[in-house]
Amino acid sequence: MLSLDLKNISVSYPGLSAPVLDIPSLSIAAGSRVAVTGASGSGKSTLINIVTGLERVRTGSIRWDKTDIVPLSERSRDRWRGTHVGLVMQDFHLFPGLSAIDNILLPARLSRAVQSGDKDRAMMLLNAVGLSRAEQKIETMSRGEMQRVAIARALLRKPGVLVADEPTASLDSDSGDAVARLLIDLSVSNDSTLIVVSHDPRLTGRLDRCITLVAGRVSSDVLRREKAA
Amino acid sequence: MTLFILADLRRLWAGSLVIVLLIAFATALGVAVTLQERALRLGSARAADKFDLVIGAPGSETQLLLSSVFLQPSPLPLMPGDVLSKLSADPRVSWAAPVGFGDSFSGYPIVGTSSVLAGTLSALTEGQVFSRAGEAVIGAAVKLPLGYEVKPTHGFAELGGETHTELAYRITGRMAPTGTSWDRAILVPIQSVWSLHGMGAHEHEEEEHAQDGAHQGEHTEGAAPGHDDGDDHEHAHIDPTAPLDEAWTAASPGLPAILVKPKTIADAYKLRQDYRGNGTLAVFPGEVLTNLYATLGDAKRVLSAVAIGAQVLVAAAVLLVTVIHIGQRRRQIGALRAFGAPQTAVLLIVWLELFLLVAVGILLGFVIGYGAARILSGLFSGESGVLLPVGFAREDLASALAITLFAAGLALVPALLAYRQSPAAALRA
Repeated sequence: MLSLDLKNISVSYPGLSAPVLDIPSLSIAAGSRVAVTGASGSGKSTLINIVTGLERVRTGSIRWDKTDIVPLSERSRDRWRGTHVGLVMQDFHLFPGLSAIDNILLPARLSRAVQSGDKDRAMMLLNAVGLSRAEQKIETMSRGEMQRVAIARALLRKPGVLVADEPTASLDSDSGDAVARLLIDLSVSNDSTLIVVSHDPRLTGRLDRCITLVAGRVSSDVLRREKAA
Repeated sequence: MTLFILADLRRLWAGSLVIVLLIAFATALGVAVTLQERALRLGSARAADKFDLVIGAPGSETQLLLSSVFLQPSPLPLMPGDVLSKLSADPRVSWAAPVGFGDSFSGYPIVGTSSVLAGTLSALTEGQVFSRAGEAVIGAAVKLPLGYEVKPTHGFAELGGETHTELAYRITGRMAPTGTSWDRAILVPIQSVWSLHGMGAHEHEEEEHAQDGAHQGEHTEGAAPGHDDGDDHEHAHIDPTAPLDEAWTAASPGLPAILVKPKTIADAYKLRQDYRGNGTLAVFPGEVLTNLYATLGDAKRVLSAVAIGAQVLVAAAVLLVTVIHIGQRRRQIGALRAFGAPQTAVLLIVWLELFLLVAVGILLGFVIGYGAARILSGLFSGESGVLLPVGFAREDLASALAITLFAAGLALVPALLAYRQSPAAALRA
């Protein structure tokens, strides 16, 4: 489980007068489940990109536990992200031509970070997301099944934080429901902090905390008492 | 990683196949040109190797070589008959064999010569050397059985030559393969050729002919002057059982060429010097070939330039396609990076994937080029009898290596493009 501590983050692009993201300070406790919402263009994706190190910032600090990823080189950020962040995206980004199990193992394999138990863990995760046919080619699966494979992939290397970007937006309501439940349950059972960007109330409503962005700034930050079901 | 690359190539098999074939054909073009030129050079050199010195009447050295060594039907002027008797008596000469052309049988050239040549050109695999006027020895590639009766046609049948009725040769022997044009020849005693064409040893017409411009056309058919010019010779029946008379005298009829085996290399040079001028022309076939190759070399340079041009075009096309392809795959590449694949892994994937295609294409190109050269050589050998040895040499390895290195460098371009893509930017695209 990782905690996040943002300080003096400001992201602006040339040609734009206002910064797309401007956060003087934001903390997320280890093990909490946080929703990030906001209209499109409010800076949600930018926030996700910078906290996962996909995009680089020049000022401020992004501290995950003890590690500040701002001064890290691109190579180090890639390595850090591979080890500590599980990513789930709206478009799955699974690789056609490979089976479910190979897709789950691919990032670890490319990083040469496969450990002896990883294949078993991949099978276990596949069962945990409710799939049984490990050798099924990814392109023959339904979208709901694909997103479940993506969740299993994100959890393979026991990441300290699970980041999901609109994980249910391209799914029908039944599949979306199942995926939302899986994200929450599995982040709990795998001891991962969960950050979800979503408009889906079925998903955001089950999380502990909801951060709303407007024009790159935090406009509301609501803490809920009741834990997710 | 290999799993990923293979899955990717399987998914994009049609495009991959096109790239492989493009590269294969471009490579094959260059390979075929190189191999074919080398085969032609080696094959003709080997075919000429059997003949140390060729003596003919003054004229084109190339023509003399083509007619005597490669048995191409072409016009050759005649030299006086006494040259042969002088050569036979020369102590520097191991053997000297006359050759006379002009007749053919179902596409095989009939060559009048002496029993010496028929015996020394190549060992006989069957039968024996001719010993009578009506006997013949055939080359390994002549598809006729021993004992077969060969009725010579004047010139070539397809050119409307008439069949000689005065004499038929009985095949008595077959030579082992030599890999030269002579494998397709039917060797007969030269006296019979002279007799058939009304040039008996004691007729001296051809000496007049040699000076007679009106008969130049006749000479163009080789040693067949006076055949159908309505001259006074008669088509008398020739006795096929007449014994060979190989005592060449000054009174022997004129000849288009004499093949000479000098005793030593020094003798060869002296003989060549002595028989250049005074109505004769002596050539080393190897030397004439070298001059021919110089011309051939220019042609090869042109062909090679064309092949290289084609290869550069294909390289540019492949580069264009892959750069566009990488652009289309920005999201996928971005995703790989986002999930933690290091930049080097992305670089390696893109590079390896393209390089794999190119390498397969190059390999296939060498196979196709080799096959094409083999087929072309086979066609050529079938027509001329000259064996063209198609084979790779050490320098081909160097050129294969150079092409492969070039391809490896080329594949680096899209790989570096992919390497430089930021994962976030790629995902946004």
